[in-house]
Amino acid sequence: MTRLNRRDLLKAAGAAGALNLAWPLSAGLTPAQAREAAEALGADYDPAPFTLGVASGDPQTGSVLLWTRLAPEPLAGEQPLPEIVEVDWVVATDPALRRVVARGTAPASATLGHSVHVPVSGLRPGTRYWYAFTALGRTSRTGRTRTAPAGHVASVRFAAANCQAFHDGFYAAHRGIAREDVDFVVHLGDYIYEHGQVGGVPADHVRDHEGGEIFTVADYRRRHALYKGDRSLREAHAAHPWFLTWDDHEVVNDYSGTGGGAPFMKRRAAAYQAWYENMPHRDAGAAALPDPEIHRTRRWGDLLELTVLDLRSHRSAQNLPDGTILGARQKSWLKRNVDRAPDTWHVWANSIMLSQLRGRPGGSYMFTDQWDGFLAERKEVLGHVQGSGLEDLVVITGDWHSAFVDDIRPDYDDPSSPVIGTEFTAHSVTSGAYSADWNKANGPLMGAANPHLKYFEGNRYGYDVYEVTPRRFSAHMRVVADRRDPVSPVTTLTTFHVDRGTAGSYEDPATKNSPAQWRRDG
Amino acid sequence: MNLVVNGDAESGPGGSADPVVDVNGWDVWEGAPALVAYSLGGGYPTAADPGPASRGSRFFSGGNSPRTALVQDIVLPAQGRTGRQAVDAGRVRYTLAGWLGGYAAQEDGVRLSVEFRDGRGTPVALSVLGPVTAAERQSRTALLERTASAAVPPGARTARVLLVFTRSGGGTSNDGYADAVSLTLTATAKPSGGHQ
Repeated sequence: MTRLNRRDLLKAAGAAGALNLAWPLSAGLTPAQAREAAEALGADYDPAPFTLGVASGDPQTGSVLLWTRLAPEPLAGEQPLPEIVEVDWVVATDPALRRVVARGTAPASATLGHSVHVPVSGLRPGTRYWYAFTALGRTSRTGRTRTAPAGHVASVRFAAANCQAFHDGFYAAHRGIAREDVDFVVHLGDYIYEHGQVGGVPADHVRDHEGGEIFTVADYRRRHALYKGDRSLREAHAAHPWFLTWDDHEVVNDYSGTGGGAPFMKRRAAAYQAWYENMPHRDAGAAALPDPEIHRTRRWGDLLELTVLDLRSHRSAQNLPDGTILGARQKSWLKRNVDRAPDTWHVWANSIMLSQLRGRPGGSYMFTDQWDGFLAERKEVLGHVQGSGLEDLVVITGDWHSAFVDDIRPDYDDPSSPVIGTEFTAHSVTSGAYSADWNKANGPLMGAANPHLKYFEGNRYGYDVYEVTPRRFSAHMRVVADRRDPVSPVTTLTTFHVDRGTAGSYEDPATKNSPAQWRRDG
Repeated sequence: MNLVVNGDAESGPGGSADPVVDVNGWDVWEGAPALVAYSLGGGYPTAADPGPASRGSRFFSGGNSPRTALVQDIVLPAQGRTGRQAVDAGRVRYTLAGWLGGYAAQEDGVRLSVEFRDGRGTPVALSVLGPVTAAERQSRTALLERTASAAVPPGARTARVLLVFTRSGGGTSNDGYADAVSLTLTATAKPSGGHQ
């Protein structure tokens, strides 16, 4: 095997007159060579076979889901492994894994990309645990997780991340999340992107995809493995349990989950399978792969009810009079949950913007891939929230690559329609936003066109941290100084609060003068 | 032995293109399937179109719903050469097979999958077949055979077989077609892996 190194690659690319040629990983390279090339250009991996790290997800009071995937050659579609590898796992109450409280063995099957998903039960509520896997004579890194508490809870902190285009930056935001003192993380989708190489490395992009547009299970596996080649993403997974939903780019841009022909349905199934294989997702008994069941409701004691929505699997086409973004079953489920909701904070993990967004006064909706393309259903769902008397609703959203704060109203075109909640749309981890000039010009236009829009900031990248007590919900917008820097420092741009029992948000006076391109109460 | 009950669409109500409420052996999760006779004509697959050699009298279609899903939960045998002991020793393989197709140049189709689960319901293996595209059928009405084979992972106790018929574009007829669906287990002499 020819050894490749960063200097040779860059030299060769420079000689070819185009530095972006340094990243044609699929150009006749074996998986091992591709990995070497990826590493030479900034990706790295944990020691084999646990190259992709470890993760935990879906914490409940007595259980949490543990995940790993054996991939000695992370950029290979099929791994050089036996068809079945038995993987031992252990859970302990200390980082050294001495006080073991649970252990077992799970089979990693080639049919599921040698992934293992272990729902560990019998754990104590509200407790921190550490875990690791052993296979093929090697032990993984140690992960840290936490179970959900039961009963009275005085506070909870969690982070939300979204939109992490590999080529657009390094994951300093995930490095920040890994270091946050949070109980859990919510990923709001666009975890990977499906398109081919973008070029322009390093002038316009810090790195690139490993090959062309992806279609098959092997393609999607490789792409997930490439993204996990950013050590900060692996750190964030190993540091906290995650809740997961998805948006479109886990499959393909702007797709509808229903109505496609056989070639699309085949691609969708491949993407869904690879997503499951690479995520700490607990699949519920009612579903069947390759269509994982995403939507679910989880409790964090008596303080918070988290509703995870799936806005992709069951949606119809956009802009239909009877269109649906939830699908009939999920909509009924959501409305039932609203009817039965306990007296807590209600947080909806919502991949794509709920609030109306016109581009300019009198103008059209900016994107009808978001809820603006499903008007009747939005009105029905928010009308149901209003009718039920549900209070303390906070919707957390991704997709937009910019930060927004919106009042939620059942009818956005009716100024007398009451405020029934707040939507926080978080900055992206890396995915490119509009230019600073566009943001400067359009922030005020969007503000004028959308009376419910309170805040817009599109020049930065990062994530949100939410701090919740029985009296107040606070959204801290964390931003990185430079997404091109893998260890970029993280600061808090501003904070918005929602007081319990009072619909609507307000900005913290201490950060009210921070940069933004629209601020209603400025 | 085929573990799938009524994988050939031969038993229970049906025979026309009209949807049925119940399908022997299967739960109707979504939509409204039809069990169509090869003799029906009207553009549906006939005995003369590509399909299983021993095709019986009927096949599954997606009926008149944009998405129709049939599921069958199978408890793996407790005893015998493919029983739990053999599964846990890594000495059992499975084969999922089915004839899957569609109509002419349309992209309606059907996907066949099996998910093996352990005793707690966690997925431990998965095989997905189809949907067969119009290009694969060379734009003619046909059912083509698709198979997948793999090791049954230790600890597997149940299998969930799923048929999802999808309609593309307009029209009312969901022309994903399936027949001769089977899941079989075979004992092997050599384990498929295990602790290394």
